[in-house]
Amino acid sequence: MTVTSGLPESTVVTPEAPTRPTKSRRPRRQRLIHVVLLAAALITAFPFYAMVILSLQPGAAVELPSSLMPTSISFDAFRDALASQSIATWALNSTVYSVVSVVLVLLFASMAGYAFAKKRFFGRELIFWVFVAMMMIPHHLTLIPQYILVSEMGGLNTMWGMIVPTIANVQAMFLMRQFIQDIPDELIDAARIDGAGEFRVFVSIILPQTKPILATLGTFVFLWHWNDFLWPLVSQQSPQNYVLTVGLNTLQEQQTPLATVMAAAVVTFIPTLLVFIVLQKYFVRGVMMSGLK
Amino acid sequence: MTAREANPGQRPRRSIWRSNGAIAAYVFILPYLVFFLVFRIAPALYAGALSFGDYGLTGTFELIGLDNYQRLFDDPLFWNALRVTAVYTVIAIPVTIAISLAMAQLCNRMLRGMSVYRAIFFLPVVTSPVLSGIVWIWIFSPDGPLNWVLGLVNVPTVNWLQSGFWVLPSLALVSAWMNFGYDMLILLAGMLAIPQEYYEAAHVDGATAWQRFRHVTLPLLKPAMFFVLVLETVRSFQVFDTIYVMTGGGPVRSSYSLTFMIYDQGFGYFDFGYASAAGMVLLVITLIVSLIQRRVMRRRDS
Repeated sequence: MTVTSGLPESTVVTPEAPTRPTKSRRPRRQRLIHVVLLAAALITAFPFYAMVILSLQPGAAVELPSSLMPTSISFDAFRDALASQSIATWALNSTVYSVVSVVLVLLFASMAGYAFAKKRFFGRELIFWVFVAMMMIPHHLTLIPQYILVSEMGGLNTMWGMIVPTIANVQAMFLMRQFIQDIPDELIDAARIDGAGEFRVFVSIILPQTKPILATLGTFVFLWHWNDFLWPLVSQQSPQNYVLTVGLNTLQEQQTPLATVMAAAVVTFIPTLLVFIVLQKYFVRGVMMSGLK
Repeated sequence: MTAREANPGQRPRRSIWRSNGAIAAYVFILPYLVFFLVFRIAPALYAGALSFGDYGLTGTFELIGLDNYQRLFDDPLFWNALRVTAVYTVIAIPVTIAISLAMAQLCNRMLRGMSVYRAIFFLPVVTSPVLSGIVWIWIFSPDGPLNWVLGLVNVPTVNWLQSGFWVLPSLALVSAWMNFGYDMLILLAGMLAIPQEYYEAAHVDGATAWQRFRHVTLPLLKPAMFFVLVLETVRSFQVFDTIYVMTGGGPVRSSYSLTFMIYDQGFGYFDFGYASAAGMVLLVITLIVSLIQRRVMRRRDS
């Protein structure tokens, strides 16, 4: 999760950026590459296609290959899925869990990241070292103590009990720190001279400068929480507190008709797809930055 | 190391305590630090303690020394979990990295529609593993598309997720599908950082496309490859969601991984102490793997 310091934003490669020109004298090879890429894309996309197609054929026995090229479609499964009180509730829970978490993670990670990047204080190296070391500890190990802790605090089966333990996100803080380090000190000093206080500097200098990374990180955090399964699974025991992933798994376990499960899956998938399409640039950039050491 | 030593000569020297920046710094860190101490550090320490104790359902806690570990090492379930985790890792990593490398190489050029291809390859990465698992259960089902395709070419069909032999390769395939887009982007970033002149020089020397890949791309891609390898190792050791959704550890515990064991002992049997001991083993394995990888990387660099 390293963003090379000193790497200007413009040199970070995005897939949209022009890459190497292909030799135009080899059209046959180009065609071959297109064929391979197209085949790979079709295979990759097949599960999504299957999900949508199966959700549109409620009641029908699934027969291959004709089921994959349906002659009639029906939205009954969606009507059933959306009419079901539980799926609507799960969607609301997922939304609250993801959106509130994004706001809190971004706020606290950027505040801490700013201090680590631009402030000198006693214990900085030690605290930072502990943070980084904690990234090595598998989530599965801390799951049980977290569960006990939240249980003791009376947070099981509550929204805050689900959200609060996920707030101190190390990767997020780390990324913010790396990015804020690249903001020139002169900007901060200039604001200082103009009489801005600490809080003012943070809000009107640091936050606006970090917009791109906030968008990247916000996308990541939203999807982490939207797709999160294990923590919501153990911390929420009654069905009206489930998030969509947990609810979806329950539907599947309960031998719900395939079309209904797939319709619920589509409902779960749509926000992911929307976020991905709108913020793809930021997301892809975030991944590519993490690989550049 | 003090903060002052770490940043020599950057700013006028002043007492760390007297500088007004320090107090502001603590204020800025405080919210994050509180959540971090309570919900990350404390649970990590508590997990260590739990592994040496017996946690009763009524909230009682009793230290029992190494009993949990003794029990763990005598438990065939634990050795099975280690074997499952190792086999899964050994299958998943080469498959995922090979696919990622091939796709990165194919995507590393300007062709029409390339951004669309890349977006499609990346889509499984952002999709919930639960959702992916549910669709793949159908693909692997006895009457599912995979067996249908195999039937077309007269290959005997398999009940993928119900076969003790095929269940781990099946799960590894899902993992490859879910993750190759991510690894591909990292490798692609590594490829784009290789200076074009190297390829031109190799071209002038008459190197074939394969030779250019083998002798220019691969060696210079080592840092990115290493990053991807570390990522995949951690991912494979910690696979959980797809196993939970697709197989529940079955059939007959053929996919009962270490993480699944931690979950099952913890939240299936509420044997928190025993589950934490298994968790500590996962931690030790993670640390050993990263130490080995770090050492290998250092040797390569020198």
